[in-house]
Amino acid sequence: MATATATAVSPLVTAPAPPVRRPRVLLVGAALASGASALVVLSALAVYLQVRGDRIEGGTTTLPEGVVLPLTPGNMGLLTLSMSVITMAWVVHALRNDDRTHAYLALGLTLLFGAAFLNSTAYLYQQLLMGFDASATAALLYIVTGAHLVMVVAAMLFVSVMAFQAFGGQLTGRDAEGMSAAALYWYVTVAVYVVVWYGIYITK
Amino acid sequence: MTVTEDAPAASTAPLEPAAPALAPAGLAATLGAGDHKVVGRIWIISSLVQLVLVGLAALLMAAEKIDTGSLDVVGDDWLAQVFTYRSIGGAFLFLLPLTIGIATAIVPLQIGAATIAFPRAASLAAWTHVIGSGLVVGAYAIGGGPLGSDTDGVRLFLVAFALVLVAQALAWICIATTVIALRAPGLHLTRTPLFSWSALVAGGVWLLTLPVLVTMTTLTYLDIRYGDAGGIFGGGAGSAYDRISWVFTQPTVYAFAIPALGVISSVVPVFAGTRHQRHRLALGLIGAFGALSIGAWAMPSFGTERQPWLYEIPWIAVSFAILLPFFGLLGLWALTLKAGHPTAGSPLLFAGVAGLMLLVGLLAGAVQAVEPLETLVDGDAAASLFGTTWTTSVASYIVLATAAALMGAAVYWAPKIVGGMCPEVPAKGVALLMLAGTVLWSFPDLLAGLFGQAATPSTLVDNESTIEALNIVSTLGGAVLTLAAAGFVALLIRGAASREVPGDDPWSGHTLEWATSSPPPPGNFTTLPEITSEAPLYDARHRTEEVSA
Repeated sequence: MATATATAVSPLVTAPAPPVRRPRVLLVGAALASGASALVVLSALAVYLQVRGDRIEGGTTTLPEGVVLPLTPGNMGLLTLSMSVITMAWVVHALRNDDRTHAYLALGLTLLFGAAFLNSTAYLYQQLLMGFDASATAALLYIVTGAHLVMVVAAMLFVSVMAFQAFGGQLTGRDAEGMSAAALYWYVTVAVYVVVWYGIYITK
Repeated sequence: MTVTEDAPAASTAPLEPAAPALAPAGLAATLGAGDHKVVGRIWIISSLVQLVLVGLAALLMAAEKIDTGSLDVVGDDWLAQVFTYRSIGGAFLFLLPLTIGIATAIVPLQIGAATIAFPRAASLAAWTHVIGSGLVVGAYAIGGGPLGSDTDGVRLFLVAFALVLVAQALAWICIATTVIALRAPGLHLTRTPLFSWSALVAGGVWLLTLPVLVTMTTLTYLDIRYGDAGGIFGGGAGSAYDRISWVFTQPTVYAFAIPALGVISSVVPVFAGTRHQRHRLALGLIGAFGALSIGAWAMPSFGTERQPWLYEIPWIAVSFAILLPFFGLLGLWALTLKAGHPTAGSPLLFAGVAGLMLLVGLLAGAVQAVEPLETLVDGDAAASLFGTTWTTSVASYIVLATAAALMGAAVYWAPKIVGGMCPEVPAKGVALLMLAGTVLWSFPDLLAGLFGQAATPSTLVDNESTIEALNIVSTLGGAVLTLAAAGFVALLIRGAASREVPGDDPWSGHTLEWATSSPPPPGNFTTLPEITSEAPLYDARHRTEEVSA
């Protein structure tokens, strides 16, 4: 008769060693990249404000004759991105608690809000009825909003890549750094839009 | 009686090791490299190739200035190209890539990391820079450049230049992330080696500057492409250089020198044979120097002419304030040398040359910020020193001082970068040539600016013979610098070709890069010493000496 040999466990064995804390490489890199991206948009905005101020001082209109800057697309864009901040934070929170259902739901909503923002900006361009080279201010308005659009697209791509990693099980409650990095880039993108919205729509 | 079968006996034969994966070699290894040492060498080689072209452009401009009344050497068609290539190529195609290359190769070793952060991104940045810099040269060749006569060439230059800037920004992200996130256990931020710290500070400053430059370059491109009716900046290619040249004036020009401070701070304690005095204070002083060199706020497009009180007063204040951290560092270096027993190695000589030239450049920069000081030109033509060759001389001192420091860094870290030691006596000769060349090249420009020579090529209104004599001396300085550059390249080639194994730590270094073989293996380290201070190898060496005593 075979007998099992019991392996004695000493009562003095300590708990397993805590996992080695991974350095936050992706988070730091995302912070630096988001700062650099933000500066590109904000420096373009600074030039726009400078040129617009010169035209106002010179007594000319900032936009070509007959062109009105609609406020609705800009305001809707701000509201949409504000909601996306909440859903993005929801994604990170759900992943950290291994709540995958809510994480995927929040991811879908975040990307939907991003697409909605792209749509509202496209609607703004359609409503403006002015060419890129209509005036210096017109060109700069397209440049500033277009540069921010590129930031939003980059943020959506980052979130999408992290979403695939989450689907594949790589991002868990113990290690959701990738999604935190994507969330940081998303928050910076929204913060830049707040500044752009104020500079273009409120102080016009 | 058993009811289950006994498990089959396990094979006692040892498992055969899996066949090793074939490692790429030769060109394939270089093209697909993610090893930070290989990527660093790509940056360094690219910078040395551009050094040849930049040196030629600088010599041509210097020769052209000998006779200020005519354009005998370069000619009217190529004057703008040569003038702008000398500065743009010197800064963004030679100096910054050399800085990035040495930082990419050395920083992960110095902080005990196995690799650089985002190695594929670092490799992408290097190859994007190579392609972009090639396109920049191509744009100049077809009459482009920011002041070129060919519109397509100007547009190609702007696109290529933006590509170069994006590549360099990506490289700085990799370097800065490495210092922040990949330090070895025990190496707190306050224990970071000073060269790695200066790379972090420089990375932060350039990440605040390069995006603004990318925006200006993009806006200028769109201005030229669509701005027939006046455009964003008034249309035309004439504004293109104005949107870039602010980088060559203070305070932004001082950002090029941040890594030089780190190199000097790394070399001085090693050759003094003692710790760097007040390491944390040195960290703070380098950080302060970096903070004061952030200068995108002072660029002309942000209305500096319209609101002088908002820009002129801070600009003057920064021009003087930046002397304080530098004097602080000078004091710490002097204290370190005094506390030890200095030996006159070639890296220390390079560091001395760099420190001296930086001091002159910073002092000259402060002098030109003094508004009442005017050029020695008769009558109403007298003007501020800013905008004369005094300004270009300040930039020359800063750039050449940094170049000297980086040459010293390459010689010091040659065992880790190219795998061999550079010959010591010729290296000292190159250091002395850099000193002589920098003084002969830049000091006459200071005086010529005082006598009224404008920074951009133009007709002189006074002191013509004096200025032409000074320009002859400056041209001789250019020839000496050419010899120094050729000597430096020869040193690196000798080091790379050397069959003599330099050993892990030929200089008795203090930091972690000397705790591995020369050149380091993939993964950099097999073991790391215990880290209890900013100089772990110095500590380990002294512990061993105490034990054996």
